[in-house]
Amino acid sequence: MNASFEEKSVWIQLGAMLLALGGYLFVAGRMLAAGVLEAAPYFAVFMVSAVLMVAILIAGHIVAAITGPTDPADERDRQIGWRAESRSSWLLGAGAFLAITGLALGYAPGWIANLLMVSMFASEILKYLLQLWHYRRGV
Amino acid sequence: MTMGASKPRITNDIRALRFHMNQMTQEELAHLIGVTRQTVNAIEGGKYSPSLEVAFAIARVFNKPLESVFQYITPE
Repeated sequence: MNASFEEKSVWIQLGAMLLALGGYLFVAGRMLAAGVLEAAPYFAVFMVSAVLMVAILIAGHIVAAITGPTDPADERDRQIGWRAESRSSWLLGAGAFLAITGLALGYAPGWIANLLMVSMFASEILKYLLQLWHYRRGV
Repeated sequence: MTMGASKPRITNDIRALRFHMNQMTQEELAHLIGVTRQTVNAIEGGKYSPSLEVAFAIARVFNKPLESVFQYITPE
């Protein structure tokens, strides 16, 4: 793969997020559909996904470090990161706003917590996709 | 800037300058100026415009004035 270590890291983070947090959202969706409205049951599921994510991140970065150079981030990496962050963070803000609105309207904690998770998931996925777009197409 | 006007472009002659400097590789140039090889490749391919610091560093490597390495193309 003709990519810098930083670009490979973005691919790894994207994969980890899709697998781990995507898995959590799948399970959480089924729990919500089954009527589990308290936030506490979701915590255990989230902890499993968090451990899985950390494991994927560590393993992926070890493989990336072994199979190629590990140059530190340079100005292009930082600019791509900043640009992607600035164009994706609105999703997290929108999710937080909706969550606050939901709290005010009396929605169950389970819905509120998972709405925040979905907005964080979507924001991060968009950020990684934008980073990869800029790595391939330029900035 | 009028509606529909093309953006100015920055082109460069880095690939040719590397070739004439003992066929310097992208990796070697990257090491000299403190960026990754992929960033040098992106600069040469017009996919990334470097900062002034990096642009001057590149010009210094080839012992050329900045305008000999980078060209600012304004649209007609």
